Amino acid sequence: MKLPRLVLLQVFLRSFLLQASWNYEQMQSLGLLYAVTPAFRRYYTGLALVDAYRRHLEHFNTHPYLATAVIGALLKLEEQAQKGVDPGFGLSEFKSAMVAPCAAMGDAFFWGSLRPLAGVVTLLLAFQGFWWAPVCYLLLYNFPHLAFRALGLLRGYGGGVRVVSSLQRWRLSDWSVYCKQILLLPLGVFAALISFEATAGLGLRSAWALCAGPLIWGVVKLVRRKISPLLVIWVLCLLSLSWSQLR
Amino acid sequence: MELSTVGLTLAAAVVCGLDRTAAGQFMLSRPIVAAPLTGWLLGSPEAGLQIGAMLELFWLGRLPVGSAIPPDDSQVAVGCTLLALVAQARTGMPLQAAAVAGLLLGMPFGKTGQFFDRQARILNAKLLRRVEKGLENGCVKSLERWHLLGLLHFTLASVATLVAVVVGGLLLLPVVLKTLEQPLTLVSNWLWLLFPLTGIGSLLGGLKVPRGWQIFCASFVLGLFVLMLR
Repeated sequence: MKLPRLVLLQVFLRSFLLQASWNYEQMQSLGLLYAVTPAFRRYYTGLALVDAYRRHLEHFNTHPYLATAVIGALLKLEEQAQKGVDPGFGLSEFKSAMVAPCAAMGDAFFWGSLRPLAGVVTLLLAFQGFWWAPVCYLLLYNFPHLAFRALGLLRGYGGGVRVVSSLQRWRLSDWSVYCKQILLLPLGVFAALISFEATAGLGLRSAWALCAGPLIWGVVKLVRRKISPLLVIWVLCLLSLSWSQLR
Repeated sequence: MELSTVGLTLAAAVVCGLDRTAAGQFMLSRPIVAAPLTGWLLGSPEAGLQIGAMLELFWLGRLPVGSAIPPDDSQVAVGCTLLALVAQARTGMPLQAAAVAGLLLGMPFGKTGQFFDRQARILNAKLLRRVEKGLENGCVKSLERWHLLGLLHFTLASVATLVAVVVGGLLLLPVVLKTLEQPLTLVSNWLWLLFPLTGIGSLLGGLKVPRGWQIFCASFVLGLFVLMLR
């Protein structure tokens, strides 16, 4: 039984609550069941529905944005199972094989690259006095976010196991490296801008602004030695306050 | 503090707290959005924008990967905006200095967010038990309800973190303002600079990009050069 668009829309909307009951035992398993419920109610009734829930109530943890690709493929496989098509592997095996790569790709691309990139671009806008910068951040970030969520579900449900090829074609791991390299450009400009603004009124302004470079380098070294940035900022602030008192 | 201020701050904290993990993840929870939102609700969007801009990069490199829980910068952003506005109202100090004071006092309490978030996730395991029990008895109706109850746990965790940030900050505020109001106002321009610079360092420290440091340095020097010519 092919799922109507309305049911797919319900699954899509419910996927936004995938992590509502995140726990250390099975992580997003309840969220997965919650998301697929509208589709499962079409596929199964009575005891068959209970059995389907039991089958899927197991450890599930992936990136929340790419989870829709797994969910879509899962629904397709359930549908095929109803028709008696044997994929040659268990649905549980399929889920286990999919969650880790999706989590790794999503974490690297969305959390590790897109989020900082959107953040730094927004900061540049904010420091230029652009009041709507936070709205720009939401637009800049959520356009790819929502696109990947929707596309993941459609490709997953449309292609079943072939969603793996789609995920490979998207080359999110490569894009995360490109995004990180691109991110460094506005980050450098942002560092230059704030240093230049803060040294207004000083003689040899650019030379003073250049001092931000070694300071950043020092923080990088400290952070890489597992020293908390919170401790760094407190110490730096206390040193600045003491220096002002001594003057 | 007026009741409406408390209510609006709580509303911002709940929306941003839920967005952080449990619902949507539209990034309303990022400090650059959460703080201006709180500031706007409390009648001073510029205070929120200052706090958000200073805080955004700070813990950005700490990724919520797997079961890792970064410090709760969303509640720090919401709470520090309130603290900055209280500090400004009490002393009349410039907004920049008030923002620095609010952040310095509120940020350490962001660590409590990790504890409360962990408690919410532990409580959620009980929901899983209930669903398992329900399915054993052939009952599927309550599954959705138990799942959604997790939202309440995350809401409580967010509120608890906000209370820790705000109450902790408010208790320390009079002491700090009494001793440091003058120096804070004097050097606020420099202190204000230290936050994003430390954030940049923290972010760069976590980025593992081929030729990353060279790209950053080239961009930084080129940026300064262009600003000098402007």
